Amino acid sequence: MNELAWFLPGWPPAFGNLLLFGVLLVAGLLGGELVSRIAGLPRVTGYVLVGVAAGPHALGIASSPLFAQARVFVDLALGLIVFELGHRFDLDWLARNRWLAVAAIGESVGAFCAIYAGLSYFEYPPLLAACAAAVGTATSPAVVMVVSQELRASGQITERMLLFTAVNCAFAYVALMLFMPLVHLEHSTTWRSAILHPMYLLAGAALLGFGGSQLLLWLAEWLGKREDQQFILQVALVVLVVGLARTLQLPVVVALLTLGVLARNLDYDHALLPLRFGHAAQLLFVVLFVLTGASLDFSGLQTVAAVTGVFVVVRFLGKALVILALGRLSGLRAGGAGLLSLSLLPMSGLAAVMVYDTAAIYPRFGAELAAVVLSAVAVLEIAGPLATQFALRRAGETHAQA
Amino acid sequence: MEFAASQALSLGIELELQLVRAHDRDLAHEAGDLIERLARQQVPGAVKPEVTLSMIELNSSIQRDFAGLLAELEAQRAIVCEAAGVLNLGICGGGAHPFHDWSERRVYPAERFKAVTQRYGYLAKQFTVFGQHIHLGCGNGDEAVYLVHMLTRYMPHFIALAAASPFHQGEDTLFQSSRLTAVSAFPLSGHMPFVPDWTAFLEYFETMRGFGIVEGMKDFYWDIRPKPEYGTIEIRVSDTPLTVRRAALLAGYAQALAAWLLEERSHAPAAAVYQVNAFNRFEACRFGYLGQIVDPYARSRRSIGEDILGTAAAVMPQAARLGCVDAVRELADDVRRGYSDAGWLRARLAASGSLPDVVREACDLWAGRAAAH
Repeated sequence: MNELAWFLPGWPPAFGNLLLFGVLLVAGLLGGELVSRIAGLPRVTGYVLVGVAAGPHALGIASSPLFAQARVFVDLALGLIVFELGHRFDLDWLARNRWLAVAAIGESVGAFCAIYAGLSYFEYPPLLAACAAAVGTATSPAVVMVVSQELRASGQITERMLLFTAVNCAFAYVALMLFMPLVHLEHSTTWRSAILHPMYLLAGAALLGFGGSQLLLWLAEWLGKREDQQFILQVALVVLVVGLARTLQLPVVVALLTLGVLARNLDYDHALLPLRFGHAAQLLFVVLFVLTGASLDFSGLQTVAAVTGVFVVVRFLGKALVILALGRLSGLRAGGAGLLSLSLLPMSGLAAVMVYDTAAIYPRFGAELAAVVLSAVAVLEIAGPLATQFALRRAGETHAQA
Repeated sequence: MEFAASQALSLGIELELQLVRAHDRDLAHEAGDLIERLARQQVPGAVKPEVTLSMIELNSSIQRDFAGLLAELEAQRAIVCEAAGVLNLGICGGGAHPFHDWSERRVYPAERFKAVTQRYGYLAKQFTVFGQHIHLGCGNGDEAVYLVHMLTRYMPHFIALAAASPFHQGEDTLFQSSRLTAVSAFPLSGHMPFVPDWTAFLEYFETMRGFGIVEGMKDFYWDIRPKPEYGTIEIRVSDTPLTVRRAALLAGYAQALAAWLLEERSHAPAAAVYQVNAFNRFEACRFGYLGQIVDPYARSRRSIGEDILGTAAAVMPQAARLGCVDAVRELADDVRRGYSDAGWLRARLAASGSLPDVVREACDLWAGRAAAH
């Protein structure tokens, strides 16, 4: 028998990354299309639901080690998204419209304070509450970028949603890094590592982003204004910086956000052509959301439902109150502030990553509060895209055929 | 339909302007936000929506002369650019956006524009082109009809001097002004019929209205038309220039030319002017100053550039009286140097290598942050 079947694969067959990628793509595509056709929901939600179905709460196939290997797709997709988000961040706009800058930072501060107050009410220790509040401030860059692309959205609400997302992601990371020394100390490490670790993460990622942006601009200048070549260049630099950040154990998101922001705002000679990652990147985004769905953790939802509910509501109110207060001053049209607040609802899969990172150095965090944040992520990963889609449609900023 | 009396040779202009996104310099969809913002401010003249959300229209108030018009346009520009900056929008002149995709355009949410889209289909979105309209006050309807006929001979001047749409959908069209092609697609474009006076015009108009073809004068998309509600005639062939200054210069030239025509009355209008019109118009759109113009009165043919220089010299006495000698002279100098906005746009593309850069520089030029010369 063995003699005869030498050409057959061994049993059980070894599934490779490529096969996994293919399966995720097909499943994601079907899920996205189904929810879009049947319920008019954003395709992103379909991708996430496919992931949930594959995840530990349903079929359980996502626990296979292959999913850990698929991490590379997630990093790449996220890298492209966050880079583009950074590249849309326009410092000139904030200089011309100071109230917008105030609103962008105020929105982050508002969400942070609201979540902190909410968690304090449930008598969580201050440091834990502050860490969770920092994590909760961020809007999901992936959801807002992909939903706005899917709807071909363009307009004031869309632009501000992307700008505020860039700011609140940066805010979340920086705030978390500022609390980290305290976290370290409570966990009785030395002063030195308590200070050096967060400094290494923040400064390292910023430096990496800066270096990448200089290389990108220099090469763009050298290549000239050719769209095909610049497309390769920009993707190449994203992959390079993502790879370096992983190797150096630096936060990918901070590095890529810095890369994007600096590539835009230090491009004094206008060397870089406007970006269009287009359909090729869509492939990665499908996989990103399926994998995000698979990693969602609903296990704690039942026990912490009340706190999760409060977390979600006060987070929204914190953002909305600041945006409503400063909407007119920052030049939003009537009714725009509410829609903008709603569009910022999606919470990031990144938050989950931040929770795991924090829990790694601070096990106490891993218990109940992590369950709250992870449950909020799980709820908002599914409800968030709906809010964003509703807001952009209602704002009249989407393409009729999208 | 009454022809409202207005002060003879008073001036007014309308400018359709491009709204541009900051991140990729493609057209924006934010006319609604900008107009709402401007509605809360004191803007001289008026700011109005146009058929798609990528356009706004600036209207001057009624002006007596070039200097007053330019001062008002500069004041308007400062306010509009400031408001656009708050929304991170660029504003620029030019007859067409160099690389936008017409199918991406969104119609301004107002009944009037929805009706236009309903009727004209894709033409409505393709009508996202940007023109300058010059109004000249006329004492009465007969004078308006006379001026329309006589000025038709000079329409190539206003095409060539304003030409600023060399690119269309990302390609160089080889035209100096590609914009007028978008206008020609409409069934009621073209020119006014050759009627002898206002009474005959009214007969024509009533016939057309009787057939249900038009409801008002605004339904005629003619190159030059009477505007009885304002008591003006309206020259509509010019692209929006890249600067407010050039927009005012063109208005000054139109004023001096009309004054000269009314005073000289060297010949009666001839139907032949409409026989050669399509040829002259094409030459001006395609070649600008270098195009050929057939003069049906003199039965001669020469370059449009030479024709402008000859006319500019002839209207100088009227220009002197109306305070626009410098304006006419400046335009004539541009013709001698071969300067056109279309040429400037092509030169910027050659220098920068990308159309988004050209749009960015055109925005700087419009805002007065850069100079063309």
